[in-house]
Amino acid sequence: MAHLRESSDKALKLLRTLPRVQIGNLRPNPNSKQNDKRGRAQHGGDKHGAGNKGSGQRQNFMRLGYETGNQAFYMRFPYEPYYKGHHMKREYPPISLLQLQVLVDTNRIDVSQPVDIATLCNSGLLSLKPAELQYGFQLTDEGLDNFKAKINIEVQHASEAVIAAVERNGGVIRTAYYDPRSLQILANPKKWFEKGVPIPQRMLPPQDAVEYYTDAKNRGYLANPEEISKERLVLAQKYGYELPRIEDDADYEMLTAAKDARQLFLGLEPGWLVNLVDKTIVKLKKT
Amino acid sequence: MNFHKLNITAGISIRCLKYSTNVTKPELPASFVNDNVEYEISRDKSGLRRQHKNILHETNPYSEAHSWIHLTEKYQRGVYGKYGAKSNISPQICFGTKSEIAAAKKFQTITQPKTIQQMIETARAAKAAKLAAIAEREDGIAKKLEKLEQWKADLNAKVAKREADAAAAIARKERLIEEVRRHFGFKVDTRDERFKEMLEQKEKEDKRKQKEAKRKVKEEKMMAKLVKQTS
Repeated sequence: MAHLRESSDKALKLLRTLPRVQIGNLRPNPNSKQNDKRGRAQHGGDKHGAGNKGSGQRQNFMRLGYETGNQAFYMRFPYEPYYKGHHMKREYPPISLLQLQVLVDTNRIDVSQPVDIATLCNSGLLSLKPAELQYGFQLTDEGLDNFKAKINIEVQHASEAVIAAVERNGGVIRTAYYDPRSLQILANPKKWFEKGVPIPQRMLPPQDAVEYYTDAKNRGYLANPEEISKERLVLAQKYGYELPRIEDDADYEMLTAAKDARQLFLGLEPGWLVNLVDKTIVKLKKT
Repeated sequence: MNFHKLNITAGISIRCLKYSTNVTKPELPASFVNDNVEYEISRDKSGLRRQHKNILHETNPYSEAHSWIHLTEKYQRGVYGKYGAKSNISPQICFGTKSEIAAAKKFQTITQPKTIQQMIETARAAKAAKLAAIAEREDGIAKKLEKLEQWKADLNAKVAKREADAAAAIARKERLIEEVRRHFGFKVDTRDERFKEMLEQKEKEDKRKQKEAKRKVKEEKMMAKLVKQTS
């Protein structure tokens, strides 16, 4: 055996004499089999695993988690606010720029009109659940490099890079707030118009959202338009692209079309009663 | 996930197959046309209720109210919304009464009391207050740091003084005991009564001396002050 230096050689030599490896020859993985101890006969019987005398045999155990008097682990933390306020936190389901590009390329959304929640939900491929605290869509930066569509889009949140990607192609992006009732209307406008209720007003954002939607950096719908155009230039310089002139664009009117802060649908004012069957609008007389 | 599977086909929705109604019906001879309502009813083998048939034909399901629900505003608005003018419901019902509109407006003033400008101001003020609190705390700390060296010196002086006083007291005691011993001439136990009496006397003398010394220091100080004032 002296000339067998490597264990692999040893093993191979062994194998030549051992029987063929079969399921019946194999030992199970360590700790995979547990011996079922029945409470009878020599090994399972007599004291039945409870030892002699003491609290062990008398089955008088300390309560689970008790640490013999010191502050037990489950008693150390008087306050665990893991889910505090979770029922009030706003969610913004994501749409990636890649998804958006695919939608545009496959004609699932009409880009010759401004795009908002209603457009996206009407495509049938995206849905919004306002009842589950979903306050609109956020545009994410996946597929940012290959985004080529020129669109007028209104979302509820977008990062700086995403805004740059949209504006680089000559598009317009805005972030706008919709209150839950408005969201329900926009998520399924057809269903809502069948209720026969006049279009309501859109509510203002809550206090903690005001800062976001009044900031020109986020292209907020309540921000100063002059500041927004300034920020467009800043972003173009930051990301290194030439800012396209929207004024010279053929779709200038469509690209600059924006909803009022109290408006739900472009071209429709709050207080109007729209009927899809008759294709009429009923308005209250001005007294 | 809100994004459903994308079918890359043209978006034709095959919602309901409608048979063509454009075929012109040939005019039947008079004997074939029967306006008998019973005949019409027995011809209808669909088994549908009238309201369901109406729904299929996209008309108002109930021409008369069969339940209190059909008389509610909400239901009638819905009928107008689904079937339009041919439902014979006046769109007035969709707008609500003047008092309801006024109540809704009042409710809005309660739920949204602040204007945008006010909310912007609140946000700005809150931000400024936060920064101000941080700045104030930092200023306070900076001021205290200036005095830190002084405090250190004071503390060391205090400790040194305390130690010096203790040492001085011990030294004084030893001195007095030595004096008393010298006075007696031989070694006397400190706890002896005579020793104690002598010790008391000596202590008193010492105290008197110290008081005089203090008074002198005070007088000198006063003199110095007066001199300063007059000069």
